[in-house]
Amino acid sequence: MSIFGRLRFSSQGAFRSDVLRSELEEEMRTHIDQRADDLEAQGMSRREAQRQARVEFGAFERFREESQDALGGRLIRILLEDLRYAVRQMRKSPGFASIAIVTLALGVGAATAIYSVVDAVILEPLPYIRPRRIFVPRTIAKEGYQQPPSWPGYEDMRAQNRTFSALAGYTDYTNTDLQTKSGPVVLDLVASTANFFQVFGVEPILGRTYRLDEDQPGKNNVAVLSYDVWKSNFGGDPNVVGAKFDLDGKPYACIGVMPPGFMIKGDRHAIYTPIVVPRRRLNDRGYHWVEVIGRLKSGVSVERAQADMNHVMSDLGRAYPGTDRGRRVELISIAEDTYGDQSGGIWTLVGAVLAVLAIGCVNLTGLLLARSIRREREMALRTAIGASRRRVIQQVLTENLVLAFFGATGGIAIAWLLLIELRGFLISAVARGANAHLEWKVLLAALLLSSVTSTVAALTPALRLSGTDPNSALKAGGNTGTSTAQHRLRSAFIVTQVALSLLLLSIAGVLLRSIAGYRNEKLGFDAHHILTAEIDLSSARYERRNVWADFYQPLLERIRSLHGVEGAGLISRVPIQQGGGVNEQIHISGQPPYPPDEVTLAEMRLVSPGYFDAMGIRLIRGRMLSSGVDLANNKAGSIVVNQAFVNKYIPKPLDPVGQHLDDASKADLKTEIVGEVTNVRQDLIGKGVSPEMDWLYTELDPRDLNTNLMSTHLMVRTLGNPRVIVPELLTIVHRLDPTAPIRQPQTMEEAISDSLVMQRMESWLFGIFAAIAILLAVVGLYGLVSHEVELHTRDIGVRMMLGATRGSVLRMFLRRVTILLGLGIGSGLALTVATQKLIQSVVDMQIVHESGLLLISAIILMLMGLTAALIPARRAASIEPMDALRAE
Amino acid sequence: MSDQAQLLPGTVDLLILKALSLGPMHGYGVLLRIAQISQQAILVEQGALYPALFRLLRQGLLKATWGFSENNRRAKFYELTAAGQKRLGEETAGWNRLATAIRLVLVAKPEEV
Repeated sequence: MSIFGRLRFSSQGAFRSDVLRSELEEEMRTHIDQRADDLEAQGMSRREAQRQARVEFGAFERFREESQDALGGRLIRILLEDLRYAVRQMRKSPGFASIAIVTLALGVGAATAIYSVVDAVILEPLPYIRPRRIFVPRTIAKEGYQQPPSWPGYEDMRAQNRTFSALAGYTDYTNTDLQTKSGPVVLDLVASTANFFQVFGVEPILGRTYRLDEDQPGKNNVAVLSYDVWKSNFGGDPNVVGAKFDLDGKPYACIGVMPPGFMIKGDRHAIYTPIVVPRRRLNDRGYHWVEVIGRLKSGVSVERAQADMNHVMSDLGRAYPGTDRGRRVELISIAEDTYGDQSGGIWTLVGAVLAVLAIGCVNLTGLLLARSIRREREMALRTAIGASRRRVIQQVLTENLVLAFFGATGGIAIAWLLLIELRGFLISAVARGANAHLEWKVLLAALLLSSVTSTVAALTPALRLSGTDPNSALKAGGNTGTSTAQHRLRSAFIVTQVALSLLLLSIAGVLLRSIAGYRNEKLGFDAHHILTAEIDLSSARYERRNVWADFYQPLLERIRSLHGVEGAGLISRVPIQQGGGVNEQIHISGQPPYPPDEVTLAEMRLVSPGYFDAMGIRLIRGRMLSSGVDLANNKAGSIVVNQAFVNKYIPKPLDPVGQHLDDASKADLKTEIVGEVTNVRQDLIGKGVSPEMDWLYTELDPRDLNTNLMSTHLMVRTLGNPRVIVPELLTIVHRLDPTAPIRQPQTMEEAISDSLVMQRMESWLFGIFAAIAILLAVVGLYGLVSHEVELHTRDIGVRMMLGATRGSVLRMFLRRVTILLGLGIGSGLALTVATQKLIQSVVDMQIVHESGLLLISAIILMLMGLTAALIPARRAASIEPMDALRAE
Repeated sequence: MSDQAQLLPGTVDLLILKALSLGPMHGYGVLLRIAQISQQAILVEQGALYPALFRLLRQGLLKATWGFSENNRRAKFYELTAAGQKRLGEETAGWNRLATAIRLVLVAKPEEV
C-alpha cells in the first residue's frame, strides 16, 4: 500500500477515532447477530442464541481496541484522548490549574527575560573577528591609577612591541558636526590611527577601510561610516562611497561603510576618521589621552604579550624618567573593557532568577503532590477497571504537558513584558543592553526545566498509585500513610520558599535604600532647577574668530536675560552626568614632596564666568574668578579650589588663598589659588567629593580657548521647571550659530536618574523577584494549610466534640504555621549571612548594619504568611463537628 | 478439540486471504468459509478475526465496502486487492515449500540419514 494510503488510515485512526470506533462496533455487533441468526435457525431461542453468540465472540472490547490499533494512528489517538481528558480535569479544578499555570509562567518568564539580557550583554560574542585575540593595554601610572598613554608613549609602544600584529591608538570621546541638508547633526567620532580596522578584522560592506598611510596629513580627509550613520544620515545610499561632506567644517570623503552591528564600546552611531594629533601633543609625554587597542600576533599568549609590553614600558621609563617612570601595563580583554564591572551584578541577577525558578518549581511540585493525593481514589478506580500502569503514567504526563503548554504561553507574555521594561533601563546603562531580545532557546530550556520538575513531582505519586492495590485506596477514609510524608515534604518546601523570599526581600530593600541614599546625597547643588546641555561647534567656522566673544558671551548674556533664568555658565565636564576622570597630579608649593605611592590628583575643570552662580556654588574664602582680573596674558593662572581640595592638600593652619601649584619652574608662573568654594560632587557612585580646581576659560590664550570651547556644556539655573526654557534656549543658539547643534538638554535630576540606572534596574528586578517569591510562598502556604484542614477534618470534629473550642482549633493551626514561618525566616537569615559575599557584588550590604531592614522583612513575611493561613484556619475553626464526623 | 489443528500464529491472515480469494464476503462469512474449507478442522476465535482483517486492510491486501448481508443487515464486505492476490500466491508457495521440506524430514528413514 502506498504511503498515502497508510497515512490516510493513520489519520483516520488518530482523528476520526470516534467514527471508526462506532463503525467497528456496528460491524462486530452485526457479526454477533448473524451468528445468533444461525444458532436460532438451529433451534435456540432468540435470547439463548444471542447470549451464546456473544460468548463465542470473545472479549469484545479488547478485539475492538486491537482492531482500531491495527488500523494505525494509535499513538496520536491516545495522545488526543489524554489531552481531552487532561483539559477536562483542569476545568474541573480551575483553582489548582490557574495557580499552577501562573507559577510556571512567572518562573519561566522571569528566567527567560533575565537570561536574554545576560546573553545579549555578556554571552553574545563581540562583533569582531576572533575577539579573544583583541586586547586593551591598560596603562597604569606609578601611583597606581589608570592613565592612558601620551601620544609619543603610544607610538613607542607600537614601534617597540613584538607581540601585537596591530596596535592602534584612537579617541572615541569626541564629537563631530556633520552638516546635512536639514541642519547640523552631532555624531560620535572615532578618530584613530590607520591600522585601526586591522585590529578588529571586520570587512566593510561597501568600499574599504583606511590604507596604512591615510593617517598622514594631506591624506587623512577620509571617513568610514558606521551602518547606523549610513542608514540614518546618508539615507542608506548604495553609492555613498566617494560622497563628500563636511565634518566640523572640514571636507571629507566617504571611503566605506561598516556592517550592521559593528561598533566600538557599544556606540553604534559613530563615524570613523583618521586621527589628527594636535601639533603640541605630538611630542608631549606628559599629556595622557590616547586610547589603545590591539590584536595579538597568532600564537602569542596573553602572558607573553603582557610581559613584552611591560618590557617596553620599563625601557621607556629609563629613557624618559620624568614622565614615564614606573608605568606599567595590564592587558585587558576587549570583553572586559567593553562591559566593565557590570558582569558581577548581572551574574547575581542570574542567581536571583534561578532562585525564582527554584521557588516556582518547588511550589508546583507541592501543588501537584497535594493534588495527586486527592486523586488517589480516581487512580485506584482506573487501575481497578483495567487501565494499564503505563497508561496511567502516560495520562499524568499528558496532564503535565497541558499545564506546561499554558504555562509556556504565560511565560512568553511575562518575559516579553519584562524585556520591554528592562530594555528601557539597559539602553542607557549597559553598552549592549539594547540587543536584549527574547531568546527562544532559553524559554524552551526554562520550560523544559519546570516541566521536568513538575513531571517528576506528579509522577512519583502516580507511580505509587498505579501500583496500588485498589482496595486499600478505595476504602472509606483511605488515607494511605505516606500522605503524611508528603505533607512533611510540602512543609519543607514552604520553609525553603519563605527563606528565599526573605533573602530576596532584604536585597531589594537594601537596594532601594541605597538608591534613596544616593539621591539624597549632598550633591552641592539643587538638582531640581538646573538644566544642562552640550554644545558642539564646527572648528572651521571659528578658525579666525574668537569663539568666546562671538558666540558664548552673547549666548550666556541672552540666556541670563530669559524669563525665569537665575544663572547660566559653562563647564568643561558636567558633574554626575559625566563623572570624574579629567585630572592631574598636583603639588602645593612649599609643601614637602608627597610620598611616591600616594594618589595626589585633583580634578581639573574649565568654567565660564557665571558658572558658580548657575550652580549655586558659594565662595568660602578669598575671591571668585573674574574675567576682568584673571586675564589670558597674566603670567600665572588663577584657580579656585573646592573644600575637598583644601582638606586634602592644604594643612590646617595655612590659608588656601595665596598658595601655588608646582606647575612651572619659575615662581611667578605658578598657578595661584585665589579662592575656596563649596563642594560639588563629581561622581554619584563613589568615594565622595574629589578635590577639584577650576580655571576660567578666558584665562586660556586665544588659540587654546577656541579649541577648548569647540565642545562645552551649558549649565542653566531656573526658578521653576528647567525644561520650560528649552525651546527658547534652542532659538537663542540657533540665532547665534545656525550650524551649532545642541545636544541632550537634560535636567540634573534626569542626569542623576541616568547615572543610577543600573541600581534602579537592579532594585526593580529584585523587588519583582521578591514580590514573586513572596506571592508563591504565600500561595503555597495557603494551599498547604487548606490541605491540612481537609486531611484533618475528622480529627477536628472529634476534638470539638470532646470540648475543644473554636478558638483553640484556630490557635492550633496558627501555631503550626508560625513554627513553619519561623523556621523559614530563620533559614532565610542564615542564608543571607552565608551568601553575604555574593550579595556584595550587587549591593553593599553589611549584615550587622542591616538588622533593622532584616527585621522589617521578617515581620512582613510573618504577617503575610499568617494572613494567608488565617483563611483556611478559620474554616477549620468553623467546622460543625457533626458534619465533620459524617463526612467521608 | 483434539481433531482441530493447532493454529500457528500468523496463519489467520493466510486463511483470510484464501477465504476471500473465493469472492468478497463479510466478516462472519469469512469465518464460516474458513470452517467450511478446512472441514471444521480450523475454528478461528470469532472476535480475533477483526484485528486480523484490519491489519490486512492497512497493508493494502484487502479493501472494504459497506453493503447488505443475506438477512438485509448492513455489513462491511471485504475483498482481495491485486496486492492481496499476489501475497496469497507467495504465502501459499511458501507454505508448500515448508510442508514439503517437513514431510521429507519426517519421512526420512534412519538409513537414509
